[in-house]
Amino acid sequence: MFKNKNMEDMIFYDRLQFAFTITFHYIFPQLTMGLSLMIVYFKWKYLRTKLEKFNNAAKFFMKIFAVNFTMGVVTGIPMEFQFGTNWAKFSELTGGIIGQTLAMEGMFSFFLESSFLALFIFGEKLMGQKLHLLTGFLVFLGSWASGYFILATNAWMQHPVGYEILENGKFVLNNFSALFSNPWLLPAFLHNQFASVVTSSFVVAAIGAFYVLRNKNMEYGKLFLKTGIIFGFVSSIIVAVPTGDWNAKNVAKYQPATFAAMEGIFETEEAGAEIILIGQPNMLEKKIDNKIAVPNILSFLTYQDWNKQIPGMDQFKEEELPDNIPALYYSYHIMVGLGTIFIGLMGLALFFLWRKKLYTMNTLLWAIMFAFPFPYIANTTGWYVAELGRQPYLVYGLLKTVDGISPTVSSGNTLFTLLGFVGLYMLLGLLFLVLVGKTIYKGPETQTH
Amino acid sequence: MTDTLISLLSILIGIIGGNSTGIFFKKYSFGLIGNTIAGVFGSVFFIKSIGRLGFSPQAIMETGSVNSNLFVLNSLVSFCGGLVAVILLSKLAAKFNKSNKIN
Repeated sequence: MFKNKNMEDMIFYDRLQFAFTITFHYIFPQLTMGLSLMIVYFKWKYLRTKLEKFNNAAKFFMKIFAVNFTMGVVTGIPMEFQFGTNWAKFSELTGGIIGQTLAMEGMFSFFLESSFLALFIFGEKLMGQKLHLLTGFLVFLGSWASGYFILATNAWMQHPVGYEILENGKFVLNNFSALFSNPWLLPAFLHNQFASVVTSSFVVAAIGAFYVLRNKNMEYGKLFLKTGIIFGFVSSIIVAVPTGDWNAKNVAKYQPATFAAMEGIFETEEAGAEIILIGQPNMLEKKIDNKIAVPNILSFLTYQDWNKQIPGMDQFKEEELPDNIPALYYSYHIMVGLGTIFIGLMGLALFFLWRKKLYTMNTLLWAIMFAFPFPYIANTTGWYVAELGRQPYLVYGLLKTVDGISPTVSSGNTLFTLLGFVGLYMLLGLLFLVLVGKTIYKGPETQTH
Repeated sequence: MTDTLISLLSILIGIIGGNSTGIFFKKYSFGLIGNTIAGVFGSVFFIKSIGRLGFSPQAIMETGSVNSNLFVLNSLVSFCGGLVAVILLSKLAAKFNKSNKIN
């Protein structure tokens, strides 16, 4: 019994530490991936129009990008360590596969991104404008390639393909191309990347709203608002349809138990599943309390058939279901709810931008300014859905989480380092806020050629 | 596992090294943001490369407890990493561009 309790503690603290460090880490790349696209847009726009404000905007956001990128590097280091320290069995068994994609992420995308970031910051005068745009594009390419390799790793864990298991239990790759043509990968990648564009759009629009409300840097305030709102509206829609829809269909197809849990379907309905908008999972009585639901919609959205039956959680064995159904259900509903609000807010802002009233509508500007943390929440809960939904497995259907931890690392040791991370990350977080706050407060430098 | 914490501490010391260089040698300074970024990459580069001589975070924790001599050495090298990165980058930036200041 003591051994079992100790094992439970080890899994709990290993998972808690990974959850904390990855949640903090993901604050940074989700902005850099989206922001790199917007920087390329500003630079491209400058080359087309020769208006200095676009070039200054590109350089201003590259500074914010550089701070985020640096923080992403710092907070990414513990992730790399944890594969060896906390998840040694997982690394030992699956290293032959996930090692490929993770190494490619480091070798190709990280170096591409960091090298050309330095050239973008320092090399404008030396290279000229066209090459400067090219370096910006390569930074964008590096950051998106980084996302692609990480998603390829995660897609394999969600839906393993192209592997065989040796007698000693180790996974080896027998089809390299299958790793990158995994049906889980493309929808997950596109959904993730456009969700990061939503984050960056909201940040750009919020900075614009801040300048307009303060009546400072008005030219840039208006530019950032307009660009942020257009990018934000388009990307918010793409995140919902087609990429979000495509992802949900993949979950329904490859992880039906997860789909039932995240949608809160406890009992299978005879014909046509309802979609639950609001409600609280009651795990004792296995039902949703106080629910507001729309009949048959879930069947239609998933299979384009109003009466198609969707298996509920009653169709699966207890051990096949995710181990924290309420957390999964709430994460999914928070993500979807916020995504819907983003479309509404950006749609409204776009309407008033078109009517040429936006810059004088202080209430809406305040709403845009204070809305920027919510895409971070939606992105993070989106990742929680993916990770909680895969439980109790590390590699879906093949390797349980309990079999992937390091058997010799005590829970006390993990807790100690977790507390250390919390302290150090607080310091880093403060430093990040000071650096980014200073940059935003100062505003873009108005350089001319 | 404490080695992971030590690697983060090394980076913080690198940041201090980068910013100290900026404060005491103004001609090399990139401003707070630039010095911080240079400090991070300088310390990571130094520890990942020179640290393999025997004072990497893993080596510090090899016996199961902190080897304080190696930890001090690691901290000094991290500090130097930040310092060298700021100086080298400023020289590189001067060649690239006459007026770069990242703040």
